[in-house]
Amino acid sequence: MKTLLIKNAYVIDPIQNINGETMDIAVRDGKIVDDVKNPDEVIDAQGMLTLPGGIDSHTHFSGTKVNFGRYMSPEDMRAGRTSRKGDMHATAGYSVPTTYGNSYRYAKMGYTTLLEGAMAPMEARHTHEEFRYTPLQDCLANTLFDGNWFALQAIQDGDIKRLAGVLAWYLSASKGFGVKLTNPGGTEAWGFGKDVSCINEPIPRFGITPREIIVKMIEANEMLNLPHSVHLHCNNLGKPGNYMCTLDTYDAIPDLNDKRQSLYSTHVQFHSYGGSSWKDFCSKAEDIARSVNDKPHIVIDTGQVMFGKTTTMTADGPMEFNLYRLYHNKWSNHDVEMETGSGVIPVQYKKKNLVNAIMWSIGLELGLLVDDPWRCILATDNPNGAPFVKYPEVMALLMSKEYRDKEFATLHKSTGKRVILPSLERELTWNEIAIMTRSAQARALGLVDYGKGYLGEGAEADIAIYPIDVATTDPTRDYERIINGFSSTEYTIKRGEVVCRRGTCTPEGNHATYWVKPHVSPKYDMSTDSTFIDDFNRYYSIRMANYPIGEEYIGRNVCMETEASI
Amino acid sequence: MMRVILEVKEQLKPNLPIEAECITPKNFLDPEREFHVWKGNKELDLTDIFHVRKDGNAKSAEQVEITIRGDSSHIKRVGEYMDGGKIIIEHDIGMHCGNFMSGGLIEIRGNADSWLGREMHGGKIICHGNAMDYAGSGYRGEKKGMRGGLIEIMGNAGDFAGETLAGGEIIIHGNAGDMPGVDIKDGRLTIMGDCSRPCGNMAGGECRVFGTAYDMLPTFRNEGPTTIDDVTVTRFSGDYTSRGLGTIYVVNCKYMD
Repeated sequence: MKTLLIKNAYVIDPIQNINGETMDIAVRDGKIVDDVKNPDEVIDAQGMLTLPGGIDSHTHFSGTKVNFGRYMSPEDMRAGRTSRKGDMHATAGYSVPTTYGNSYRYAKMGYTTLLEGAMAPMEARHTHEEFRYTPLQDCLANTLFDGNWFALQAIQDGDIKRLAGVLAWYLSASKGFGVKLTNPGGTEAWGFGKDVSCINEPIPRFGITPREIIVKMIEANEMLNLPHSVHLHCNNLGKPGNYMCTLDTYDAIPDLNDKRQSLYSTHVQFHSYGGSSWKDFCSKAEDIARSVNDKPHIVIDTGQVMFGKTTTMTADGPMEFNLYRLYHNKWSNHDVEMETGSGVIPVQYKKKNLVNAIMWSIGLELGLLVDDPWRCILATDNPNGAPFVKYPEVMALLMSKEYRDKEFATLHKSTGKRVILPSLERELTWNEIAIMTRSAQARALGLVDYGKGYLGEGAEADIAIYPIDVATTDPTRDYERIINGFSSTEYTIKRGEVVCRRGTCTPEGNHATYWVKPHVSPKYDMSTDSTFIDDFNRYYSIRMANYPIGEEYIGRNVCMETEASI
Repeated sequence: MMRVILEVKEQLKPNLPIEAECITPKNFLDPEREFHVWKGNKELDLTDIFHVRKDGNAKSAEQVEITIRGDSSHIKRVGEYMDGGKIIIEHDIGMHCGNFMSGGLIEIRGNADSWLGREMHGGKIICHGNAMDYAGSGYRGEKKGMRGGLIEIMGNAGDFAGETLAGGEIIIHGNAGDMPGVDIKDGRLTIMGDCSRPCGNMAGGECRVFGTAYDMLPTFRNEGPTTIDDVTVTRFSGDYTSRGLGTIYVVNCKYMD
């Protein structure tokens, strides 16, 4: 299809400062244009909320970890089964669905771009193969560097430029998008059976602290002029009292970029815990939110927990071991040679469990206490906090005090003494929800320059049209309509083509993989650096020549080239 | 009282499995209901597989009695989610008979294939022949299997009988195969004949072996002799790889050489 006209759409587009205007949107060849004559297809969006396509800036939906979740939880495949229908493939799974399951369900909710939260560079092939079978979304992958020996060595030597060179080589070799640090230093220490308690404790062998790793990585990241900042999963995830560690980390972050944040701090709910043990566990969302409000160079996502069964998966191996000791259920632990590790555990969050109820409250508190929605992104760290299909419920909870109170009444009765959620009156507006589900992501990931997250001329025509009439819907009362409306779009449009109509998806969505290629000077080009090559071939189980991902693995792709300052 | 007789027609390809989860007493209460079964990748009507005869009327599932005649050894999932009434199978039955059953009676006059009464919640299954593997078990990845009801197997059972058993009772009058009652949590598993490696990772419940338990696991502690119905047995507690809250009574046991 060449041209498309969407008429009478009720548009909210925060990047262009459009807050509820009825307008027409014209599309030609997958891009939004000023006007089209004799359009091939016309969609009447009268009375329907029209937003840029949703962007999930932190989700685990592809790659070896997710696949291991599928392996070890065959019972998960019994939930969420759908049979083949027309062009749609059969799907199965609830917290770790099949690739088509992920793609269809995200498309149904109007999501058109997904960022895989953690990809071990050595296992990048698998991630990219799954991207190819996630046909309705553009995919990006954060690349893990938390325990990369070459990077740690460069930090130990105090050579930030070499560190930047290492990052550049790994990013383009693995066709990754951003720099991800998961429990920096901790996963490496876990390789020796240890963990780090906070950011000032040196890690084994290298003798550097997580603080140095985080700060130097941010400096190196900015030298490469990458679209995205460092994407950090702080140390001490999920431990009572860890909020102090999170605050210390935030205090250490330098502000190095005028255009966007210098740090993306992910699933902050898991890092906002007070108390000294599970017995006096409580919420410290207020302290964390105050720190974030004071620091315009930090963006967070909430990492909301929702009740029900799910699977936790992270590169944070020691954290998963602690979880295993709580649940005594199945546990997977994995080491990735020179780079990182991982762990996977199925869990169930229960309303009557006090700790779980507090976790649920903390996520919402963060969403309500951070003043600037551009710096507080809605996510569940899918599937760690909850499968992404719960997003509409999270939106409704943030928009309606009545719904929050109703849900709160069903929780463990002591929850009220440990959290401040019931005292928060704020109810987010349509505009704020639009920011927290797409616009803030586009800006934080640096994708606005690539036409994502807005509906202006020249933007990619990724559009979500929801069957919600804003004029007659009061989100504070009609939360059921919010949930139903955001759960299933009337139309989801990807690059100018309708890929999902009321849940019925097309087989192909012109999706692409986005990856970065920083150009560095020959001095810092690791592919010709003899020390790097020798050490690589000595310590890895594969030869360096076989390591980079070829373009044949990634199909249609967009290479984001940057000029590094080294 | 309603009697339904399903006589299996001669099949062109008798080895293709047929998924017939629609065969439960409750479903026959609705005279308008259409019955579809899957054979391979084709969806067929029940009458393509069976000669169906229905006599009498019924108001509740308890008043329905279904009889399956002919070679039903490839017909799977008969009696799935059954909550009352009676199914009589005159010959062998295929896999997954009585899945999730919560009430009523299934009587199998021949042998049963694997997964007999998987994740059963209540009711009764009597199998006059042998049952294959995973009788009264859970399913892949699940922590809890059968939670209630009774399965009685007059012949032998295959491997993994009563895997993840979490309630109810299984009685095997013949021998059981390898690893009966593995991951058992609650309920009672009785084996009148022999078995090997019973109850690995047992977390609760009870297992009784009136024959010989071969390759007895070393993680169970011998608690000395006792009697059950005048039979002298040895009581073991375990499994101590878990918390050791389960009990096995065996008449004879042998450790691995």
